[in-house]
Amino acid sequence: MSTEQVNTNNTSTKHLSVKRYLPDNSAESYWQEYELPVDDSTSLLDALNHIKEQLDSTLSYRWSCRMAICGSCGVMVNGIPKLGCKTFLRDYEGDIRIEPLSHFPVQRDLVVDMAIFLEHLAAVKPYLIDDNPAKPYDPTAPETYQQSPEQLARYKQFANCINCGLCYSACPQFGLNPEFLGPAALTLAHRYNLDSRDHGKKQRMAELNRHEGVWSCTFVGFCSKVCPKNVDPAAAVNQGKVEAAKHTLIALFKG
Amino acid sequence: MNKHKPQHELQHKQAFDEPLWWGLFSAGGVCFAVLLPAVILFIAVLLPLGLLPANALNYERASALLFSVPGFLFVGAVICLPLFHAAHRLRHGLFDISVGSDALNKKLMYGGAALLSVFALGLVIAGMLS
Repeated sequence: MSTEQVNTNNTSTKHLSVKRYLPDNSAESYWQEYELPVDDSTSLLDALNHIKEQLDSTLSYRWSCRMAICGSCGVMVNGIPKLGCKTFLRDYEGDIRIEPLSHFPVQRDLVVDMAIFLEHLAAVKPYLIDDNPAKPYDPTAPETYQQSPEQLARYKQFANCINCGLCYSACPQFGLNPEFLGPAALTLAHRYNLDSRDHGKKQRMAELNRHEGVWSCTFVGFCSKVCPKNVDPAAAVNQGKVEAAKHTLIALFKG
Repeated sequence: MNKHKPQHELQHKQAFDEPLWWGLFSAGGVCFAVLLPAVILFIAVLLPLGLLPANALNYERASALLFSVPGFLFVGAVICLPLFHAAHRLRHGLFDISVGSDALNKKLMYGGAALLSVFALGLVIAGMLS
């Protein structure tokens, strides 16, 4: 245990500016200020819940698990994409500006439409393809799902994605061109391409080797900085470029 | 709407040129980082300051070194590949600041790098033949 305990008694008042957008009332978004009591354990999600319950029930935002695994509570904090539940107000001084995630259409307040991200995700087929060599009830079939720790280690780093979308808000190329498959989708494609049980690489490479696939990435690397699960999408996308280059060379020789 | 795209349409949209540009960009980046500082140090700093032996790069020696197969490779590594590296960066930089169209920028940047490369390598070949 660390000797530096988080203090839950040390309450103070903090100032939160939240970008509001209520399309039923006005087409314009506006900033709303809230003052609320916080202590050292108050997360941004706790603060939003306090606003919703005590100060202003009209505020809309998404959340579910409050422990950085559901990926629902992504917002911009002072312009940086963050998970609300993993962001603590004790780390911020002065005005704290909360906005909906960048590069996505805003539906209401902090709620964005992530449909385009889900489309890109579906396009790369992020699941095992033809993984089961055994037919049901075939006694001569090989044992299924055998994987060595080395084979697991190849893709494990990239398997921790929680689909929160923070990397899409961080990616300037996705901001310029929403057709770009984007960090998380390309990372998950790479994750399944690296999986020894999978046989779908050929299908995925056709998506990855488009201009809107790996080649739209300019290796800015901010996606890896903001990823709350340390997945390192920038590394996955650039390994994907090597794979796409190999895929193209092989396609050239095979004609 | 990617998920509804038929496979033949995907084949049509394959970026067959991008691996080439990216490969030249990567090779150029390595040459830029590894060779160019040494080249600039010797040719652009030590030589003009007179810190190299007087006959290290006199006309006869320099032309003999340049107009040869190693000289051809040297020009390829310190001029042509870095040109393609810079062209790739400029093309993506122009896209980032929304200048021009990517299709045109590609032709201008890589075309420019190719022209200058042909010019540089052509000079070496001309010198080798003369």
